[in-house]
Amino acid sequence: MIDNFKEFFRFRELLFVLTKREIKVRYKQTSLGASWAIIQPFSMMLIFTLIFGFFLKVDSGNIPYPIFSYSALLPWTFFATSFSLGSLSIINSSNLITKIYFPREILPFSNLGAAFLDFLVAGVFFFLLMLFYKVPLSFTLLFLVPIVLVQVIFTAAVILFASAIVVIWRDVKFVIPLLIQLWMFATPVIYPVSKVPRFLQFIYFLDPMAGIIENFRSVSILGKFPDWRHLLMATVISAILFFLSYMFFKQKEKRFADII
Amino acid sequence: MENSVIKFDKVSKSYYLSRFKYGRLTEEIRAWFKKVVTLSPESNSKQKLWAVRNLSFQVKKGVTLGIIGKNGAGKSTILKLISKVTYPDSGQIRVEGEIGAFIELGAGLHPELTGRENIYLYGAILGMKRREIDERFPEIVKFSELARFLDTPIKRYSSGMYTRLGFSVIAFTDPQVLLIDEVLAVGDKSFQEKCLMKMEEFAKSDKTVVFVSHNLEAIRSICSETILIDHGRLKARGKSSEVIKKYLNKYSKNSKF
Repeated sequence: MIDNFKEFFRFRELLFVLTKREIKVRYKQTSLGASWAIIQPFSMMLIFTLIFGFFLKVDSGNIPYPIFSYSALLPWTFFATSFSLGSLSIINSSNLITKIYFPREILPFSNLGAAFLDFLVAGVFFFLLMLFYKVPLSFTLLFLVPIVLVQVIFTAAVILFASAIVVIWRDVKFVIPLLIQLWMFATPVIYPVSKVPRFLQFIYFLDPMAGIIENFRSVSILGKFPDWRHLLMATVISAILFFLSYMFFKQKEKRFADII
Repeated sequence: MENSVIKFDKVSKSYYLSRFKYGRLTEEIRAWFKKVVTLSPESNSKQKLWAVRNLSFQVKKGVTLGIIGKNGAGKSTILKLISKVTYPDSGQIRVEGEIGAFIELGAGLHPELTGRENIYLYGAILGMKRREIDERFPEIVKFSELARFLDTPIKRYSSGMYTRLGFSVIAFTDPQVLLIDEVLAVGDKSFQEKCLMKMEEFAKSDKTVVFVSHNLEAIRSICSETILIDHGRLKARGKSSEVIKKYLNKYSKNSKF
């Protein structure tokens, strides 16, 4: 394990270069460039506001529904983008895998890095939206740092596992978009946590994304302290999953070049 | 340990010749069911191909080793094993020092990026630090003769230009062990000569070089020692000219049939 980290550290510069490549290539192929990072959560926000805020009148407390949903769509989009791109990162770089050695986890991590940049861009928009809706800026915004960190660890765990599985069984590639869609409904993006029946809450918060999104919303727009129990649970589960899926990835990595 | 930089000890590597290149979930589930239901050991329906079989050899520091053999003999697999792109089924491999692998041209170059960006990308993939690439950038560009096209996305490059860019970057990396697989097959005459000269330079330095090629002339002139591989096994080892002679004899004998 320690050897793996050392080796990873030796190649840290490659991680930056590949992340940069990821970003550059994406922006070179599109004419709208960085604005895509905002368009995606923004258009989701519009449609959700129309359907859930306006038609179905989901109760978002005294918070306007658009910012209520955007505060969750922001971390959710970061997760979904990393997941969908990261899970394909190994098979999309088959020409590198079969010819050049480097620690393979760099590939999914570089997708995570690129998605993080999108997240920051969309985050600036979130800030503007908060000003627009006159949401009071609270010092609890600082708690976003540890919350996002937990999310990064959890996302890394998911994409390490998924990218290795996709090499072994290509079929899984088609399952992931569906999984992402379903997963969003299992997290408090559209509705507040209070709507989840009490007896389900334990199972509900076994999913780190539920705790992460709930806390992301409450520290950013509600000005509340994090729900420590849920945050701790998300942290512990993410850390354990990261460890397990990293081991899994390193074990499967040796066969990547043969089966890809 | 003595001063060998690369050491293979009874290394074997096999590939499956399965119908599908990669696994399909349904197939694996079916195979698993079959195993459980019939309680038989895993079926041998997957055919195995031994790419490298029980191979042992060493390369001493500073030696330039040539590897020759027919197509499919296992030469490229040996390079992949040295560079840790793939791992052996059994046996031990030890390599000391940083490895620079030039296994296939263009692997790692990205078509959407410009020549300049690709030099940095490829350099990083080969393990160079940004500062090192900065320092050597002018030399790399000069060697590649692509100064005019540096800011063109390389998808507009010809295949010869691709090659030149790739080789130029590797020519200025500084690994202790250099692996080269069939680079001289592309590029025009004058660039080939330049590559050969660069490789002779490597060979003369204290770097350890492993060179796989079908260009026997190049092997003869660059490599001090050569091994002959056939069906994954070591057939001969010795001075390049002698091993090449053996190879040619065998080959022409075969071709009579």
